[in-house]
Amino acid sequence: MLFSLDPRISRLELPESAPAPPDKAALDQFPTYEVFHQRKENTAYVYVGPVHAPEADVAFLFGKEQFSRRFPCTGMWVVPTEAIRVTEYGDDQQSVYDRLPLLPADVLAATDAAVTEAYDIFHLKKRGKAHTHVGQVQATSPEAALQAAKAAFGDQRPVVNVWVIRSTDLLRSDEADRDMWTTTPDKKYREAIAYKVQDRIDRFKQEG
Amino acid sequence: MYGSASTHDIPTQATTGLENEDPILLAEFEARIARGEKIEPTDWMPQLYRKQLTRMIEQHAHSEIIGSLPEGTWITRAPGFRRKMAQMAKVQDEVGHAQLLYSAAETLGKTREQMLSDLINGKSKYSNVFNYPTPTWADSNVISWLIDAGAIVNQMANAKGSYGPYCRALDRICAEEAFHLKYGHDAVVHMATGTPIQRKMMQEALNRWWPAIMTFFGPSDKMSTHTEILMRWKVKMATNDACRQQFLDMYVPKILEIGLTLPDANLRKNEDGVWEFSEPDWEDFKRVINGDGPCNAERIAVRRAAEENGAWVRRAMQQPKAQYVRPLA
Amino acid sequence: MDPKLDLLYRLADDQLILGHRNSEWNGLGPILEEDIAFSSMAQDKLGHSLQLYMLLHELGEAEPDTVAFTRNAPQFHCCQLTELPIGEYDFSLIRHFLFDHAELLRFEALANSSYEPLALVARKVKGELKYHVLHANTWVKRLGTATEEAITRMQAALEFTLPYALGIFETTDAENEIISSGLFIGEKELQRRWEASISKVLAQTALTLPDLRLLTPVAGGRHGQHTEHLQPLLDEMAEVFRLDPTADW
Repeated sequence: MLFSLDPRISRLELPESAPAPPDKAALDQFPTYEVFHQRKENTAYVYVGPVHAPEADVAFLFGKEQFSRRFPCTGMWVVPTEAIRVTEYGDDQQSVYDRLPLLPADVLAATDAAVTEAYDIFHLKKRGKAHTHVGQVQATSPEAALQAAKAAFGDQRPVVNVWVIRSTDLLRSDEADRDMWTTTPDKKYREAIAYKVQDRIDRFKQEG
Repeated sequence: MYGSASTHDIPTQATTGLENEDPILLAEFEARIARGEKIEPTDWMPQLYRKQLTRMIEQHAHSEIIGSLPEGTWITRAPGFRRKMAQMAKVQDEVGHAQLLYSAAETLGKTREQMLSDLINGKSKYSNVFNYPTPTWADSNVISWLIDAGAIVNQMANAKGSYGPYCRALDRICAEEAFHLKYGHDAVVHMATGTPIQRKMMQEALNRWWPAIMTFFGPSDKMSTHTEILMRWKVKMATNDACRQQFLDMYVPKILEIGLTLPDANLRKNEDGVWEFSEPDWEDFKRVINGDGPCNAERIAVRRAAEENGAWVRRAMQQPKAQYVRPLA
Repeated sequence: MDPKLDLLYRLADDQLILGHRNSEWNGLGPILEEDIAFSSMAQDKLGHSLQLYMLLHELGEAEPDTVAFTRNAPQFHCCQLTELPIGEYDFSLIRHFLFDHAELLRFEALANSSYEPLALVARKVKGELKYHVLHANTWVKRLGTATEEAITRMQAALEFTLPYALGIFETTDAENEIISSGLFIGEKELQRRWEASISKVLAQTALTLPDLRLLTPVAGGRHGQHTEHLQPLLDEMAEVFRLDPTADW
């Protein structure tokens, strides 16, 4: 049996050696969800990164601790990656809305007839930064929502990339659960600021 | 924490493959980087860029998850509430960083399944320092402070690189690492300025770890066409030697001021401000990174066990209609 | 024992020992993201125990580090549920589910304690416990309705763990006074609420809750009687701390 300096590992009672395992099956690690956070009350939700999860409610559990345990947070949204409609990326300083093709007549016609629903719009202002929520539009399809977003938010510049998400695809944290985040700022043991050791060094040098 | 795994195995002799790339797209790509703009996942990129970045970010991710083990060795034994909670938070962060980095690597096209398979099958490398043991609490403190310090030197440089998802991950990682560095320093200072038992523990741990620390940034770079291209593309941001010099500049004085000594009689700063030191044993380094170190087998065995013991959980949570989509950013 | 001390020691020791146990999963969990979430909850438990040991310190007991790192098993008041080894993930999840349901209800009640410093702590940590219970419920619901393998495992873990979980509600001689002085609603009332709370979640799964009246609670922990696992846990936890009792680590 494998003896380890780590008592936790010794307790696993692992064999000294074992044959290499087979490669993992596809989706062993689950599909991905994209996570957005609100850092402060009344500020825009900002993209923070993906989590792998089997379903949205689990993605929420995972996203909360992966992305909000170390920084203040007042709310969180998660969405399946596949539910995000992504435009092409433009250059910094430009707006991708400028290059947006006009919708064909039949799609626009459908817009009038069909029932609209809400879409959430996110902008990337600069390559390497994070997508930020700019607002909602009403539309009949993601393509139409993009046109509506151009009308509503197209004056904002630059816009390097746009994400369009049907609002019902976003799982949003419950207003009643805001207290789940209230103690995060109190957890000083994981903040650099909690470790002040200069006095001790100075005292040591004086005594030395 | 640990960003230095990959730099030593850039194939200096291999061809760049650039002759097969579309010259117009390549020129646009290079112009974008030269302008200081980041590359995002759906942009056109040369094969060499994709390959090197994937390897580098993947190895960085492996280094985090394997790197959680030497400090994890002391997670149940950290002395006192303050250390106990911080040690847990730090080990947790390493796992969190692995998650961020695997996600960044995935945007380049390799799945997390494949990366984890390659890790547990011994096909991928991770930072070699984690193949050494932490026989005492003080060894864990040395890692928390000095290995993390080395990693931060590396990561701060890489955070200025050209690939958007890697930069986003590194920005978050660097913010979290500020705590690691301070926590590690605090713990080492307490030991080094503490009781005789503590001082002895700390000095011995430092003596054990110093040779490994000196190899952390990898051997001197052999400048080749290949290296030059990777630096032009802002994949590789600083030479191994530059990182090592910066680390020594920042941390040797901090080590000495608390009464610790370093086990290298040749270590000194010369008149030109350049640190001189005994050349690390690169043969030993090669031997260890190729599998023959004191902890290689255990590190991989533990990862395999974690994957295997959790397999039923993942199987049970699997949704039949699930489809893989690369993370977006 | 003074009813305040009696209550606080039970609460604090539970959280310390279970937090310690759950931290053993760190780096070894079934999914990276879950590894992180589970570690956060273990840290929260350590944090809660520290706050409670600080209340004890204010009442004249020794420093939190001394209390946590120098006592031996017979001096601990945790229930035996908390000290069992982590086992496999099914057991750890079921323990987390059963314990944290009781803990959330306990702290919700303590938010109205007549002992204001404790009420203050309770009001503060309630939100964290809410996440712990949300986490536990999500997992129990998912795994409890998933593959046959998972349901079988979770059912077996549930049946193994329940007698220990009933030990959470073991009372001491101070119980009557604890209730009459308004410190806490008492273990009996807590257990009633707990049974309703876990039944509601389990009803949404393929898992069966056995008739709790037919089970014999594993008691003793509140009176310093522990399993053979606690003393080795304490020795391991204090291995470095005891190397040099005069040291500042």
